[in-house]
Amino acid sequence: MDSILKPLYIAVSWVIVTIHKALSPIFGADSGVSWSLAIVGLVILIRVILIPLFVKQIKSQRALTALQPHMKEIQKKYKDDRQKQSEEMMKLYKEHKTNPLASCFPILAQAPIFFALFTVLNGIGKNPPVKHGVLTQEDVVSAANAKFFGAPISQTFLGTDITTVKVVTVFLIALMSLTTFTTQRQLMLKGMPKMDSSNNMMLQQQKIMLYAFPVIFAISGVNFPIGVLIYWSTTNLWTWGQQFYVIKRNPTPGSPAYEELQRKNAKKTGYSESPTTDVEEPIEDLKGQRKQPKKKKKKNK
Amino acid sequence: MREFIVAPIKFYRKWVSPMFGPKCKYYPSCSSYAVSAIQNYGLKGIAMSVWRLVRCNPWSHGGVDYAVKEKAGVS
Repeated sequence: MDSILKPLYIAVSWVIVTIHKALSPIFGADSGVSWSLAIVGLVILIRVILIPLFVKQIKSQRALTALQPHMKEIQKKYKDDRQKQSEEMMKLYKEHKTNPLASCFPILAQAPIFFALFTVLNGIGKNPPVKHGVLTQEDVVSAANAKFFGAPISQTFLGTDITTVKVVTVFLIALMSLTTFTTQRQLMLKGMPKMDSSNNMMLQQQKIMLYAFPVIFAISGVNFPIGVLIYWSTTNLWTWGQQFYVIKRNPTPGSPAYEELQRKNAKKTGYSESPTTDVEEPIEDLKGQRKQPKKKKKKNK
Repeated sequence: MREFIVAPIKFYRKWVSPMFGPKCKYYPSCSSYAVSAIQNYGLKGIAMSVWRLVRCNPWSHGGVDYAVKEKAGVS
């Protein structure tokens, strides 16, 4: 396992050491600011590399606007069969070579980096410090003493008696919970297409999960060095910002944020027809005309 | 033994996955695919699940893909 991850140790430590070196003249080589910002820099680098994937996903979400009539038809046709509905949706996406879902690649790709950073920082925290990747003895000693708001970045909540480490850990866990919570909440309230009642259970479950975040972060957070928590918090903040931007500028068709944007655009152009009718009409159809044959629907209109 | 391997995937499906919302490009999702693959094919099912995870990437278009083809639609 170690030999597989070795290139990653080298890559992660190289990025950190390089940024640290660049920042040293400004903040000082042994300064916690240089080392902390080096970790933040690692996050920024990784997330910037992942941006093209993100843009690709946004583009395919935008392509969905054209598929909306098809999607509504499927939803209407299979409203009592969730499985068939999902199947047909997927077929539609595939047919049009677009897929709004991200796949778990962005998360999976970051996991090894996260683990490598964990190992590198944990090594620094050992006594005597263990060198991973391209770290020199000098780097390790300097990093081991680097402090983030008074807490050494290589220490864990459970592995030390230093009060500042505990305080900073709790603060960072709170920050991580808060950013994930707001990101998820924003997505639930504004970013997702309006749901019919069959999806309510899922929504309910997500609500419960939202409150489980602090617990999960707390359990894992007390075992992680401060530096890893810095990485985690920064990447969460980035996710939040990215989503905020997308929901404002490029919302998923059918979502409340999308309607909001349409309304805003309508105001700008002076377009008088209510932009929400387009989205709400099929919902009324679903309620009012349950189980009626297709032909009648057309007549009613 | 198969249930033992499937247990963590089921745990993930119940407690972890809902936090991130739907992500998978396929139907059924990778985790659902993995559960049925391992339950039906054992070791080979694990390989199938890994291959499915690899296929579910930003360059794929997804689609409908059951682990057990004959059972498709029954689930």
